[in-house]
Amino acid sequence: MKTLQNSGQLSASFRDPSGFLFKRDNVLYRQVNRKYEQEYVRLMESGLYEKLVKAKLLIPHVEANNIEAESGECFKIIQPERVPFISYPYEWSFGQLKDAALATLSIHKRALKLGMSLKDASAYNIQFVRGKPTLIDTLSFELYKEGQPWVAYRQFCQHFLAPLALMALKDVRLNQLLRVYIDGVPLDLASELLPWKTHLNFGLMTHIHLHAGAQKKYAGEEVKSRGGSMSKQAMTGLIESLESTVKKLDWKPGGTEWGNYYDITNYSDAAFEHKKQLVAEWTDRIHPAIVWDLGANNGVFSRVAADAQAGPAVISWDIDPAAVEQNYRQVKTEKNERVLPLLLDLTNPSPAIGWANRERDSFGGRGPADLTLALAVIHHLAISNNVPLLYVADFFAGTGKWLVIEFVPKSDSQVRKLLASREDIFPTYTREGFEAAFSQRFMVHEAVPVRESERVLYLMEAI
Amino acid sequence: MHFAPLPYLDPGSGSFLIQLLIATALGLAIALRASWGKIKTMFGAKPKPDADEDDEDTAE
Repeated sequence: MKTLQNSGQLSASFRDPSGFLFKRDNVLYRQVNRKYEQEYVRLMESGLYEKLVKAKLLIPHVEANNIEAESGECFKIIQPERVPFISYPYEWSFGQLKDAALATLSIHKRALKLGMSLKDASAYNIQFVRGKPTLIDTLSFELYKEGQPWVAYRQFCQHFLAPLALMALKDVRLNQLLRVYIDGVPLDLASELLPWKTHLNFGLMTHIHLHAGAQKKYAGEEVKSRGGSMSKQAMTGLIESLESTVKKLDWKPGGTEWGNYYDITNYSDAAFEHKKQLVAEWTDRIHPAIVWDLGANNGVFSRVAADAQAGPAVISWDIDPAAVEQNYRQVKTEKNERVLPLLLDLTNPSPAIGWANRERDSFGGRGPADLTLALAVIHHLAISNNVPLLYVADFFAGTGKWLVIEFVPKSDSQVRKLLASREDIFPTYTREGFEAAFSQRFMVHEAVPVRESERVLYLMEAI
Repeated sequence: MHFAPLPYLDPGSGSFLIQLLIATALGLAIALRASWGKIKTMFGAKPKPDADEDDEDTAE
């Protein structure tokens, strides 16, 4: 007997009775169940699908008529366009979460105009595709009947409004609550954490504070009027209010560790250019489809890799929310379709979470990439975080087949800064020690000293 | 502070009720705004053009 675990069904969509995702011959399909026939037909025939796809708000798909159904209740099999990389809201910067929230509301508004309603406002249904927040769950719509409230209201507040308000008005790092609460930040918690002055903000007062209060007051009570009616005008008022509340929330990068890193680095323009040239040359040689730039800061070298002939998708990871925000703003300004900035602590990367730890994949589970860039990052792992070099080599051998890594010696002023505040217990942290550790996991193809610096850039291949 | 046993509490009822309340108030505000607009037009003010999102090619 086929169990869910060994069939092609993917565990990210197991809750949805309308259909599910499955993989066959490494192609991703979505089965639309008969139960969802009416809604699917309305989505396609009302013009909503076309409008949303044109606005880049919904992932396009084709109907795969010659594919055998995965289970008996099948109405149709569709093949959605493949998303190059799945990311999660706890990996997004403030601006990314805000844009995802506004995209969700915009989709719901457009659906209402054509007699449908967005029934899920889960942040996990939004992915960044070619730089834009895009709904990837084609089965998220239901038929709208006037009088019906928005079923996704609570979810929207938990997945978007609460974390955005906490990030903007309390501390930007509070987006990490989403890593613990998979269904969004509980509103009573958000209400407690937000500064008191948010009681004077109409949107936050109603959608967070009053909302949390009502949840507490009526918890466990059966509400007789669940069939209660809400006019279309009331629905419009609600959505407009959520939209304006979200739009008013803002957070500006600045004042954090790396925000202006490239202005305070210790190397010269010549060294910087030389590094760029080597990264460009080697990326062209390897021809990767996907690159992970680990410790990308605001994405300077991610852009160099993205410009390579192969036109790779580059995931631009950094630990600093300000750097990721800057990077994302730049992606938007330059309409960059290849670089995806994401937040990540390399010393404690995103775990697998959700039911049976299978709903949302871990950082490593979404790899490997074809090429990993680890520029000016080794000293943070080996010295600040005290990870033995062989462990670091092991880790990078898992993130991608090819590795471009920069060795920063102890004599480098940045490393001296790190060592100034701690005892030097790193006798093997030398160029020789580094090469000895990494050659156990990699074949070294190139080792080029960076001009006008004490650093060395390596091109390695995992063995 | 007293916490009720978590597994039996459903925040859905409160969310539902508060949504009706907020939305009704906001809907009313829209209606008032519209009638105020009409009154102003009667006294010679130019009506505001409606921004229609569907006409935009891409979302912001």
